[in-house]
Amino acid sequence: MQRSRFLIGALAGLTVSANATDLFAKALAMPALPNVAPGAADDRVLVVINLQGGNDGLNTVVPYGMPNYYRYRPTLGISPHDVLALDNTIGLNPQLGPLKAMYDKGQVAIVQGAGYPNPDHSHFRSTEIWQTAEPEHYVSTGWVGRFLDEADLPEANLFNAVALAPVLPAVMVGRRVDVPAIAALRGYGLSSDGNVSERAAFATVVRDDRVPFSSPYLSTVATIEDHAQRGSEELPKLIAGYSSQATYPATPLGRSLALAAQIVGSRLGTRVIYVQHGSFDTHAAQKPTQDRLLHELADAVKVFYDDLAAHGEDKRVLTMTFSEFGRRVAENGSRGTDHGEAAPMFVIGGGITGGLYGKHPSLDALDNGDATFTTDFRSVYATIVEKWFQRPTTGVLAGSFPTLPILA
Amino acid sequence: MIVSMIASAPSAFRPAGPLPASPLAPYAGPWNARLAAHLLRRAGFGGSPSDIQTAAGQTMNGAVDALIHFPSTDSLPEGPELIDNDEGTPLAAPLVMSSPMPDASGTDAATNAIVEARKQRAMLRRRQELANVTWWLDRMLVSPAPLQEKMTLYLHGHFATASGTKGIYGTDIVDQNWLLRHYALGNWRDLTHQIARDRSMLKWLDNARNVKAHPNENFARELMELFTLGIGNYTENDVRESARAFTGYTFRRRTGEFYFNVAQHDDGDKTFLGHTGNLNGDDVIDIIFAQPAAPKYFARRLLEFFVYSDPEPELVDAFAATIRKNDFNMAPVMSALFRSNVFYSDRTYRALVKSPVEFTIGSYKLFGLTEVAPQTVGVLNRMGQVPFHPPSVKGWDGGAQWLNTQTILARENFASEITTAAAQGKNFLNAGPPANARDEAQALTHTILQGDVSPGSVADLESYLDGRGTSADGMLSGENFEERMRGAAYLTMAMPAYQLS
Repeated sequence: MQRSRFLIGALAGLTVSANATDLFAKALAMPALPNVAPGAADDRVLVVINLQGGNDGLNTVVPYGMPNYYRYRPTLGISPHDVLALDNTIGLNPQLGPLKAMYDKGQVAIVQGAGYPNPDHSHFRSTEIWQTAEPEHYVSTGWVGRFLDEADLPEANLFNAVALAPVLPAVMVGRRVDVPAIAALRGYGLSSDGNVSERAAFATVVRDDRVPFSSPYLSTVATIEDHAQRGSEELPKLIAGYSSQATYPATPLGRSLALAAQIVGSRLGTRVIYVQHGSFDTHAAQKPTQDRLLHELADAVKVFYDDLAAHGEDKRVLTMTFSEFGRRVAENGSRGTDHGEAAPMFVIGGGITGGLYGKHPSLDALDNGDATFTTDFRSVYATIVEKWFQRPTTGVLAGSFPTLPILA
Repeated sequence: MIVSMIASAPSAFRPAGPLPASPLAPYAGPWNARLAAHLLRRAGFGGSPSDIQTAAGQTMNGAVDALIHFPSTDSLPEGPELIDNDEGTPLAAPLVMSSPMPDASGTDAATNAIVEARKQRAMLRRRQELANVTWWLDRMLVSPAPLQEKMTLYLHGHFATASGTKGIYGTDIVDQNWLLRHYALGNWRDLTHQIARDRSMLKWLDNARNVKAHPNENFARELMELFTLGIGNYTENDVRESARAFTGYTFRRRTGEFYFNVAQHDDGDKTFLGHTGNLNGDDVIDIIFAQPAAPKYFARRLLEFFVYSDPEPELVDAFAATIRKNDFNMAPVMSALFRSNVFYSDRTYRALVKSPVEFTIGSYKLFGLTEVAPQTVGVLNRMGQVPFHPPSVKGWDGGAQWLNTQTILARENFASEITTAAAQGKNFLNAGPPANARDEAQALTHTILQGDVSPGSVADLESYLDGRGTSADGMLSGENFEERMRGAAYLTMAMPAYQLS
């Protein structure tokens, strides 16, 4: 493990004091970044927002022009007077006002009826399917992880991608690139951080040279320990220079996107940022929960893009939402909805062609009470890989999926 | 296309070098504390320094016998604390609304009543979940039969069922846990027959809704794909026919007891893996266990859990033969594995990543602590493994999946907390009077890691203990001994070997 040994060498002979630790940190704070012009394909960032729990697509992108909608949704149906109409059939949930404003500026694409064949109604399995992009097989890597593996990213960069989540989600798992999982900046670090001698010692004891055993996992463990320790120390320093006038909503998503903007604006060479929002699992009394979550989503995304725009970064950041499934077309007896199938995805950004894509699922012919998908979600992934990152999907997606004209 | 490429790619985590000759023949090499600690980690949850001494003082056969022929566990609590439910209805029962359902116009009061009742129920259910998990963790920590708990943990990952979802609430999952424990070293064909009747499993994989008119394939599919055969050893038609055979396998709503609903069972002919007849679910299981793929599937899963990742096909075949010869009676099978050449070979030693449960319970044992703090459940969540809450029916992948920056930080921070807690209790890990920094560094790395450390790390630890580089703090002394030893134990637990089993 080269890096670890280098660090140990760098420390040897130094009198480890608080000052030395600072010096050490400064030396590390010079990221070896590729020299890329802003806006070039290599400089582009994808933000993935996971709407956890299965967001009710029908009450997000509302088919208010389809009479069956009100038949299936006697109490949950959103009145035509309240929807934020996009055309004479489709409108947005009134809580999505800030997103509607972005839509009107051409910054939001809505992919209707996204899903996959033989949909699974389990949260776990369907989440895994969306993350691995493998509806028929169990695989241990995610589509973003495979993209990162294929993208020739600088190995020395600890922040090629980050997951703003307590546990690394399957979508970010690859075979080569180690993506740090960060629940929140606060708490991301060793709790011994106040103890200078302990912290300094930590960096040196985590070594794998000349251990009297061999293990196939030894270098992986040592590398991740090294990344965790250095990364958690470096990240706050690397992003400290970024200042922002934006006021993010005081919600978990607001905090995550504020950190995402800071990471983007600090130019760490980060290509993909994962954030999550939820839970949308609204089996009962859906309206207050979904209203709040959609409002939080639209609010945070709008502030995020305003913030990015103020820093001249909005055109190099694309945001995609997904949820493991939509919900049943007919509401249940508890003013909620059960697990369903197809649902819309949002693709958001300064450099896209906004509008409605794909066909809204039919509400006349249901599949066992569920809306049938009209666009395979892997088409959206293919669009992002091929058009946004300008990379082939080989090794990322199994099979070929038509791209959507969201991106030129 | 890419999938098959991924699936057939050689794992980076198979140990290097050739498989030893006669890998499953009895091991006849030297026996020492290092191998005794290895056995305790793999066949249990590690041990205190004195547990390791005891096992090292026996012969290898004696140490394995003590694990296999374990003493009675009757003195342990039989189950978790039961969370009070004012209404007296089981937590798993569907919520019956006392107020009438709102009509289409709905009133806010009615909606609020539903929200409030659900909140209450959810709170009680969460408390019961927490009680369930801490009960099992405590049992893993103090049971005189660690192998029984380890096999139960293995089986929980094998027949992975998650509580707190799909109607599995209250102590449903604890009942399943007892089923797994009962068969931990028993006959796993019999266990599979019982799993097909288990209330949690019937809910989890929807077989309770598998009826003649609308067969539900969920259980039938996972039974073969994840529990017994693995993909490629059956066809989609076998899945459909198996689902028909399992129609009517359900449970009584009132008692939760298994119930074969004849009226919902499809009693027509089915053709399953070459057998035709009016098969039921139990026939299907017997046919599955007669397939050569079944012992191989169990062999691979067991080797990956107890020995090393991506075991060689020849090792899988040899172990499968042991399983078949013993007709799925697992006591002699596991006994043979824990006495084998391959188990004590260099390629097996420290070749696995400790699971979060192994990491935390092993640390509790190391410091002689006898009760798991409830916060440990949250810590385990941050590390990525909460018992009774596997991420999917596939269980926990283990290996590299345990390792990412956030989970590693959670492990280190847990080490920091537990060393602090242990230091408050007593002069831990050090029987004699304070010695010099070099001896203490040697002793600590031997006690915690059986000496599996880089010489450089020992020197670093010595520097830390002597306060080198931290100026005025001074060398290791009676005055700073507790604090420095706590820090040194924490740092030793941060060394890579401590993450490995």
